[in-house]
Amino acid sequence: MARVQSPPGLAQIQAAGTYSEQAVALRTLRDEIIGHVQRKEEYVQHGILDVLVEILQNSTRSPKRSSGKEPSQAGQPTALSEDDVVRLLALQLLASFANGGSAFLAPLHAAGVVPAIIPAISPNDNPSQVVLAALRMLSSMTASARLAQDADKTTSHLADVLFSTRSLEALCAILSQDSPDFGIQEQKRLVAGLISRLCKTTKDQNALAESGVLDALATILASFAVARGEVIPGAEVLGRADGLVDFIPRPAPPGADLASVLDALSTIVVHSRFRSYLLLQSPSILAVFPWAEFTAPAPETRAAWIALETHGLRPIRPRGPGAMDFLLPAIPILPPKARLGDFPPLGASPSREAFAANSNLSSFRFTGVEQSRGEVDDEEDSEEPESPLIPWLIHLVRTTDDLERVMAASLVASLFKAGFASPDREQYLAMLVIPVLYRLLSENDKEVPTPIQRAATVDSETTLRWTIMERTPEVLARLVGESGTLQKAASECGVIKLVAKLLKDSYAPHPVQLPPKLWSANPDRSNGETKELPPSRQLGLPGRVPAYAHKIQMRESALKLVAAMATLNHGHRDALIEADVAAYVVESLAPCPGKPKSSKDKSASEKGTGTDKDQPPYGLNPKTVIIAACHATRTLARGPSIVRTTLQDHGFAMPVYQLLKHPDPDVQIAASSAVINLVSNLSPMVKTLLDAGIMQTLCEHAHSLNPGLRLNALWALKHLVADLGNDLRKKCLEELEPGWLVQLISDDRSEEESRARARAEHRRTDADDDEDMESEGAYDGDSDWQRDWTWPGLNIGGPGRAVSPRLQQVSAKLTTLRDAEVNPTRRARNDSLAIQEQGLGFIRNLLLLPSNGELPDMVDHLFTEVGQDRLFAILADKLKVRVVNAFGRRATTSGSTRGRDVNNSNNNNTTLVLYPQARIVENLTYILVHIAASMPRHRQLVVAQTDLLKLLGAHLGSKDPGVRRALCQLFTNLTWLEDDGDKQPCAQRASELKRLGFLAKLEGMEQGDADLGVRERARAAIDQMKKPTLKDAQW
Amino acid sequence: MSTALSHLEIPGLDNDSTFQELVLAHFRQRFGRMNSSTSTAIPAYHGFEKRVADVKAPKSDINALILDYLTMEGYPKAAAKFCKEANLQPQQPDASIQARQSIMHSIHSGDIETAISALNELDPELLDTNPELHFALLRLQLVELIRQCSGRDPTPAVEFATKNLGPRAAAHREFLPDLEQTMALIIFPHDKLRPELAALLSSDLRRNTAAKVNEAVLARQNQRREAAIRQLVRMRAWAETSARSDKMDLPETLDFGLNAEGTESRTDSGHEPMIMT
Repeated sequence: MARVQSPPGLAQIQAAGTYSEQAVALRTLRDEIIGHVQRKEEYVQHGILDVLVEILQNSTRSPKRSSGKEPSQAGQPTALSEDDVVRLLALQLLASFANGGSAFLAPLHAAGVVPAIIPAISPNDNPSQVVLAALRMLSSMTASARLAQDADKTTSHLADVLFSTRSLEALCAILSQDSPDFGIQEQKRLVAGLISRLCKTTKDQNALAESGVLDALATILASFAVARGEVIPGAEVLGRADGLVDFIPRPAPPGADLASVLDALSTIVVHSRFRSYLLLQSPSILAVFPWAEFTAPAPETRAAWIALETHGLRPIRPRGPGAMDFLLPAIPILPPKARLGDFPPLGASPSREAFAANSNLSSFRFTGVEQSRGEVDDEEDSEEPESPLIPWLIHLVRTTDDLERVMAASLVASLFKAGFASPDREQYLAMLVIPVLYRLLSENDKEVPTPIQRAATVDSETTLRWTIMERTPEVLARLVGESGTLQKAASECGVIKLVAKLLKDSYAPHPVQLPPKLWSANPDRSNGETKELPPSRQLGLPGRVPAYAHKIQMRESALKLVAAMATLNHGHRDALIEADVAAYVVESLAPCPGKPKSSKDKSASEKGTGTDKDQPPYGLNPKTVIIAACHATRTLARGPSIVRTTLQDHGFAMPVYQLLKHPDPDVQIAASSAVINLVSNLSPMVKTLLDAGIMQTLCEHAHSLNPGLRLNALWALKHLVADLGNDLRKKCLEELEPGWLVQLISDDRSEEESRARARAEHRRTDADDDEDMESEGAYDGDSDWQRDWTWPGLNIGGPGRAVSPRLQQVSAKLTTLRDAEVNPTRRARNDSLAIQEQGLGFIRNLLLLPSNGELPDMVDHLFTEVGQDRLFAILADKLKVRVVNAFGRRATTSGSTRGRDVNNSNNNNTTLVLYPQARIVENLTYILVHIAASMPRHRQLVVAQTDLLKLLGAHLGSKDPGVRRALCQLFTNLTWLEDDGDKQPCAQRASELKRLGFLAKLEGMEQGDADLGVRERARAAIDQMKKPTLKDAQW
Repeated sequence: MSTALSHLEIPGLDNDSTFQELVLAHFRQRFGRMNSSTSTAIPAYHGFEKRVADVKAPKSDINALILDYLTMEGYPKAAAKFCKEANLQPQQPDASIQARQSIMHSIHSGDIETAISALNELDPELLDTNPELHFALLRLQLVELIRQCSGRDPTPAVEFATKNLGPRAAAHREFLPDLEQTMALIIFPHDKLRPELAALLSSDLRRNTAAKVNEAVLARQNQRREAAIRQLVRMRAWAETSARSDKMDLPETLDFGLNAEGTESRTDSGHEPMIMT
């Protein structure tokens, strides 16, 4: 075959006999290819990559140098040996190929470049220049991967390699280097950048946290505080007492980059109490930011605080303000308003939405971490003061520039969401952080000039601006998602208008997606024989232009912010709809969006005709955008009127339904969570969706192995079934299979089994939760999470050191938090509880009064399908307190980490006592309420379940008012007099209830219950039970 | 003014904030007093100049400013000597300044190939990620090639342009006019050129390109792109214009003080010519 001759440079490299000859050849090649994409292509096709990888492997020395030759003392680059020079050049060349664009990623992977580079990043074995070059290479690959059409593949591959145990050690070593040298600073910056861009899964986040990378980054962060002169006064004295004084780092050198450190930290810490706590308790952070009361030297400053306190604008705190508080302006804090009791509709299972609202879209999960949070917080916060790191970060948001502001806000948002900030901080964030973020967004929101829209590379200023634009909405979303106060602050800034504009802009048609091809003097040279080349010589698909990637990223960020702004407040939802976001959200649900139709011209219903397959005018929506759109749909659909009007008009039903069948489980989960709200509250979409066959699809998902999907599907069915007639309900029950339903709600699988299941299952919880813990098998087998994890912070000072008592204390709590998040049994149990709750809710809604007269029929149907005795047995079982053996798990600490788990601290063999969850009890009671509402025969049946009633009686003292209300209602229903023929049995029922001692309890509740609703219902029940008719009828 | 000033920072010195404050106070004082004194008919020239004379900038600040200038503009030897004399910590490792300086030197003397090679040695990613800069360098190389073969066979120049510049210009429209203009040099005799073409052959192009390269290298090193004194000079100019437009009472001319006494930078390091653009 007429091969084009290989270029001379290649032959020269291969022919070189000595290192120095090779170096000369490599240098020539470097000058030839840097900046010349066409030549790079040519060389790749001639197999240069394999040659370079070989050079790299051959010149990799055994780590003999580990004898402690410190790399480059203070900017004195060590003279490189010849083989190091060759390696350096090879790395630089590879980096240059990686810079050539996404097309080079495929051959680079095929040549096995990444594993070959990893040995070069260890600073103990390599001179600093080589380490730097290797990191640059990885960073270039990551940057190119961002633009690639199949970005996920590269990033996950890189993440797998880079966050493996061995490379983590190297990363740690790089970050811990203590040298002001610019090269070292750049190394640190690159590592931080790699972490923020590659760390996407919980597995990686935990690996980074536990390997000490988090501590190393925290130390760098602390060094900035030192450099800024913002160490807490007296830290040294306090540190001496705590044994922490040696952890105060040296000031950060001038070349160090704060934004990248903050970014990396926030990437690792996000969505996890364990990792957040790990950061707060990192020795250097503790040393630099110890908590100490502080008296401001200037009387004026103090006066402001005192004035606010005396006027009731600031709660008088048990502790005075810390030193950091004086760096921030004093802000009035109003006492929280007393909560008003709410009256949920009696019959329907109250949507857990209000509950799910606690978790915004990005932290939406069902594993019950939030459920326990409130309870845990109360205990902790009273005993542990807030870390001064938090006010310091707010101070950073106020005093730094651009990206640093965003990243500081991002980190403070994570810590705030993890519950480690004091409650007052909400007001601080509302007044000091949100306006800053808003301003950053609006100031950087500028037209992109056409040349930049087409360019394959963009200048650093534009890149910076784009990064700010992409990150800020996401940070805002995270900050605002669960808090009414913060949402109000954001909306007052004008965030709603702005986010609508951003979303709109992201749907402006983009001129080009792929960078222009370079002109070549002899164009047909490279064609032909490419197919027969080995993969390491074949170029991959070209990448997108950066402007296009930016646009898609903006779409995702804006959708996240839309979702977060819509979680709690009707007014905000209406404002969003007013701003016409619905048109864009619905297009974002489609993988290939058409032209968004505003509410005015939606009559023109031609769909965006996919004219050009390669370059659809509105781009392609990747998974992340679709998931974000699902969450936006979900939160917007919390407003029933919005579902009925806008969402219906824009035709949300079908796109969401399509996504239920998407191949990716993450998308399915997100879509099913959107369905939950679309089918509730007599939504007009129900009919469309039913016609499309949603019932079958959801029932299928309810059988899924993925607990997240199973939960959401069951949840959606629960809502769906509430509005249906009996025939459809029966059909639904049939489709779901009564046996399966029983299995879902009964917990008779032994713990052992569920543990096995947890291991076997490919688990993804909620979509962008990123909590897919076991997905990669990281915690496969209990050995991994169970293995004695010791906090690396304990060992930082070297093995011989006496460990500070403070650190030991911290270590115990860390282990507890870690266990709560990582332990698979626990997660499986939480999943199972959540599913049980929805399953019971499903039955409850099956029986939800459709129109009178049909209820008995439905109850009978349920009894025949599920089995009357079986149903009652399961219900009774749910009410029992369960004692579980925790498999000889290492005892952590005494005290509860979960509200419902109590560890009996028997050192080695811990047992867990599981109390029935309030929500489960409530749902279960309402099932009985409905059965009791049916007809006297059924009432009789319920009263006959003495054991069940006894168990229920125990819950009259439940802490949850909902449970108490439900129980009162149950007694009212049970003693309801149907007609004259019912007099005798009714009296019997009443006396039976009295016999069980309920009347006395109810009377107590009528008098003394804290909840008005409970008191009212208790009175109604008592009236009913004491009715004169009943008394007369008694024998 | 305060925003302009707050951007001014001299890394590596712990007294930068005090320095900033000083300058700030200085200006504030100057303009503030002038405001009040305008109404009184006292000849203000005298007052202004007297106040100027009153302000004593600490010597350490001045030294830091000088070192910053030497480092940023690439005078490694002078910087090293100055460090020793003034007892300061060097801002950058000597090697890095030296490398920058030698690149500048190559560009100034028209040896672009060496400059590119050295640039790749110093920072192999720079030209990969900055196509504008690469284009500017390659075009300068083309100009040098054309200059060399002036009057003789222009084939090497044409070939170079086809191989290196053509593909880029096709992909980036904004490069095209520059390339066309440069190619025109091949056609016209060099002694009778239109001014815009003649400009390509003047040393200004080399100088501008060199400055661009210097800025890009500094920017990549996560630093300011230019010496702090340039910003100070601009700020002074801005302050003077805005003061004049607000009809502040100023002396008619305010000297920079560079010409009057013949400053050190002009005289003592003659072999490293100072370029002020």
